[in-house]
Amino acid sequence: MKFLTPKNIQTVVIILVVSGLLFLALSGYLTPIFNLSLNPLISFQSWLSVRYLSARDFFTTPREITQLQEQNTVLESQVTQLQTQLIVMEERLGEAQVCFALLDFGRTNPQYEYVAATVIGREISPFLQYIIIDKGSEDGIRYGMPVVTQQGLVGRVDAVIAGAARVKLITDSTSVVNVRLQSAEVEVQLLGSLTGDVSLDMIPLDETIEAGDVVLTSGLGGNYPPNIFIGQVLSTQRRENALFQTASVQPIVDFSSINAVLIVTNFEAVDISPLIPEE
Amino acid sequence: MPHIVSGLSLLVLYILQTTIFSQTPLLSGTTDLLLLFLAAWSLQPQVKNSWVWALIFGSLVSIVSAMPFFTPLITYVGVVGISKLLQSKVWRTPIFAMFIVTMIGTIFQHVVYVVSLQVTGAPISWGESIDMVILPSVLLNLIFALPIYAIASDLSGRVYPLEEEL
Repeated sequence: MKFLTPKNIQTVVIILVVSGLLFLALSGYLTPIFNLSLNPLISFQSWLSVRYLSARDFFTTPREITQLQEQNTVLESQVTQLQTQLIVMEERLGEAQVCFALLDFGRTNPQYEYVAATVIGREISPFLQYIIIDKGSEDGIRYGMPVVTQQGLVGRVDAVIAGAARVKLITDSTSVVNVRLQSAEVEVQLLGSLTGDVSLDMIPLDETIEAGDVVLTSGLGGNYPPNIFIGQVLSTQRRENALFQTASVQPIVDFSSINAVLIVTNFEAVDISPLIPEE
Repeated sequence: MPHIVSGLSLLVLYILQTTIFSQTPLLSGTTDLLLLFLAAWSLQPQVKNSWVWALIFGSLVSIVSAMPFFTPLITYVGVVGISKLLQSKVWRTPIFAMFIVTMIGTIFQHVVYVVSLQVTGAPISWGESIDMVILPSVLLNLIFALPIYAIASDLSGRVYPLEEEL
């Protein structure tokens, strides 16, 4: 019985106690005791840690704030520069899109020669619908030349100086354009108005006009080339005892936001006013 | 100095008018900055040269505009005339005078425009003109009358004392 020495017994007891404690701990029986003993420790540790971090921030943060402020200033200036570049690029993209669209129109209508111009102003009087463009007689612009966009007809040149020209829009109240309806093959007149709306007049009563019918220039009268798109019929109006019916037209061109136009330079408007008998 | 200030101010307002304000209508009516500035400038007691500027810019606008018979020139000179007339009658309350000149001047201008266009054969009716152009223009001009008057008053206050000191 050499094994049952006091030293060995002590070792066995310690192993049993530790094993028991481990078993109790793993099985969760010792959790309340752990909580009771560890909570004050954790609280103290948290308290100390917060104080330490506060003290560390107190000594180190001022330098970081200065650095951050410097970095922020640099980044803000970079953001400003990038925003400026973005605006410039967006403007160039917009100009390029307009140029491509105008070019596309020129390609689809190769029989005409064009001069592109930018709209630089509008008529001061609210009773008239005119635009001012940045191309004039120095660029080959002459009175009466038709003006179009990639979408359709805009108007005609009304007055020219060396570096600019005034264009009368088809929406002007004094504007009359001879047009034809693609579906009905009927030739009528397109009139402007004070409010900028356009309408068809002189439509024979026996013609059936429907909403959506396409309106094109007819070329009659010699003021505009034929087959330039103008818009679509919105609705028709028939009045009792009227000789003709009328129709509202939705122009394809948004006249409130024209930025660039094409002037058809190889079309010569024919002045037929001497041929019209005086009343 | 006052001539340069008057001329530059009207030139800037003319550019703003053709590029921005003519493109921002209320119904079909628009603000007329030149009319407002000429009215406000004429109402300043120390300003004596407003007739000259009405003639110069009236001629300029008449050349650029498609309005017939130099009607912008007639209307701007008429507005300055109304301002000078009211300046002596309503001298105690110049802002009130500015509103009166704006209202009467705008109506006078548009009546002259409609008559001249009707004479040339434009199919413009009075009813539509009043509803869609004249009344909205009067409203817009009345809205902008106060800031334009403040600018004109400030400019004349800055320019003319210097002139007197010299």
